[in-house]
Amino acid sequence: MTGTGGQAAAPRKVLVIGLGNPDRGDDAVGAIVAQDLGGRLPADVPVFARRGDMLSLIEDWAGFDALVCVDAAAPLGDPGRIHRIDLRASTLTKQISLTSSHGLGLVEVIELASALHLEPREIIVYAIEGASFDNGTALTPAVATAARVVADRVLADVGRLQYASMVDVSDA
Amino acid sequence: MATKTIRVDLLTRVEGEGALDLQISDGRVTSVQLNIFEPPRFFEALLRGRGYAETPDIVARICGICPIAYQMSAVHAIENAFGVTVDGQLRSLRRLIYCGEWIESHALHVVMLHAPDFLGFPDAIRMAGEHGDIVRSGLALKKAGNELMRVLGGREIHPVNVKPGGFYRAPSRAELAPVAENLARAHELAVGLVRWVAAFPFPQFERDYEFVALRHPHEYPFNEGRLVSNRDIDIDIADYETQFEERHVEHSTALHSVVKRRGAYLVGPLARYALNFDRLPASVQALARESGLGAVCRNPFQSIIVRALEIVYACEEALRLIAAYEPPDLAALPVAPRAGIGFGCTEAPRGICWHRYEFDAEGTIRTARIVPPTSQNQPSIEADLAAVATSLLDQPDEFIRHRCEQTIRNYDPCISCSAHFLKLSVHRT
Repeated sequence: MTGTGGQAAAPRKVLVIGLGNPDRGDDAVGAIVAQDLGGRLPADVPVFARRGDMLSLIEDWAGFDALVCVDAAAPLGDPGRIHRIDLRASTLTKQISLTSSHGLGLVEVIELASALHLEPREIIVYAIEGASFDNGTALTPAVATAARVVADRVLADVGRLQYASMVDVSDA
Repeated sequence: MATKTIRVDLLTRVEGEGALDLQISDGRVTSVQLNIFEPPRFFEALLRGRGYAETPDIVARICGICPIAYQMSAVHAIENAFGVTVDGQLRSLRRLIYCGEWIESHALHVVMLHAPDFLGFPDAIRMAGEHGDIVRSGLALKKAGNELMRVLGGREIHPVNVKPGGFYRAPSRAELAPVAENLARAHELAVGLVRWVAAFPFPQFERDYEFVALRHPHEYPFNEGRLVSNRDIDIDIADYETQFEERHVEHSTALHSVVKRRGAYLVGPLARYALNFDRLPASVQALARESGLGAVCRNPFQSIIVRALEIVYACEEALRLIAAYEPPDLAALPVAPRAGIGFGCTEAPRGICWHRYEFDAEGTIRTARIVPPTSQNQPSIEADLAAVATSLLDQPDEFIRHRCEQTIRNYDPCISCSAHFLKLSVHRT
């Protein structure tokens, strides 16, 4: 809580976005986490599933204080491994390669938004290592298990982000 | 013999996967190969055996940037085969959704992909630090175009509301009112964008292109017109194959298109502009002249100005169409299949997109042929590269490499569509 003389602060505006193509194997994991979170998040926390045009994300997160984003990551030999990246402390490019076949990917869009001061103050990215990105295939079992774990962790993050004060965030 | 190789192994800021290989031998450019290694996608084979009604939604999947071009060429070909003519407000709605595609596609290329080349930035992210207002304008323009596509097409990527005969659902005037408000603001931003790009430092370079584009009696072309060139071509779109052919080349998964009697030709903004300057509104003509352009522009680097002018035009045209819009009684005309062959040719942001379908009596596709704009421009891109590199032989390889990449981006190539794009290699001997 901020020092507002004991008054409860209004919850911060938090957005959840799941990225990926639901028809390309483990690339679907972001969309599946978004689907899983439908109805489980607080009513004032929207959840979007997005694919394709990453630039539109800048429109999606306009006006939000915090963003939790879930995406598939390129295979590094450990399918289903969960990477949680808090962009206050880390940079995405040094952490892990998210999957994007061409154009601006999530990393570039966040960098662009940052250069234009259009990014949410706090961004947490969950990147889940995939194994197979073939057309028309289902999630591999390890990634499906990771999706359920990430959904629960996103719920916990949202609860913290909604009521963490700006002072708390910058001091964190 | 002194040989030098300059290679770009993976071209960036283009749509799709490609590379460039440049051979310089004894002070001459001996070979330029634009290697397109985007995998073949076999859409024409995929369409065989599918029903005519499925076609617009299947061909939309060819491209996430210009799906309307594929949908429009397909529905016009279907209607051509089945003897249906769409006019009135439905025809206007087709022009309107195409305006949306030109705005979003051109804005993305002009601001996010091409402008950094002229200002010495590696990409739009680094450019945004010094030109934040322009990048924000580009994003706002793209958003306005996307909104138009979403309202008319159901969604901006791979729209789902286009069908033979018209649309599954026509918008109300109330739905278009907020779109018009955004377009009015987008028009102001687009005029500013034209003035910004017109002040770029442009290489002194021109080529004597054979421009090919649609030409309509009254309109700057989107969906209809005869196929014309600045040489001697003036044909019905059904006669495309009499003048043009596609050839397979070993270094590309995309076919190369040529004028049978002459070779390379150019489609896209420079061609449309040169062949249809008189069809632009006086306001856009005046802005072009203010930007230093005549009625014909042969400097491919200045295509960025023409694209920005086409954004202005698309905004004006969209506003005109919305102001005159009255919802039609039917969202689509009835379409009854019959055996036959149909042709469609429309102006995608990158140039003409030609389709030919043969149907059986039930409207099932027997054969399909789709000629996208980037495959038509490949020989012209290679000719530009040879000429540009020849003029730069005494320059360092890195300078040549950058200028060659810029030359390719002049075309806003959509390799994914054409693979039916870039690494650059320069070999000097």
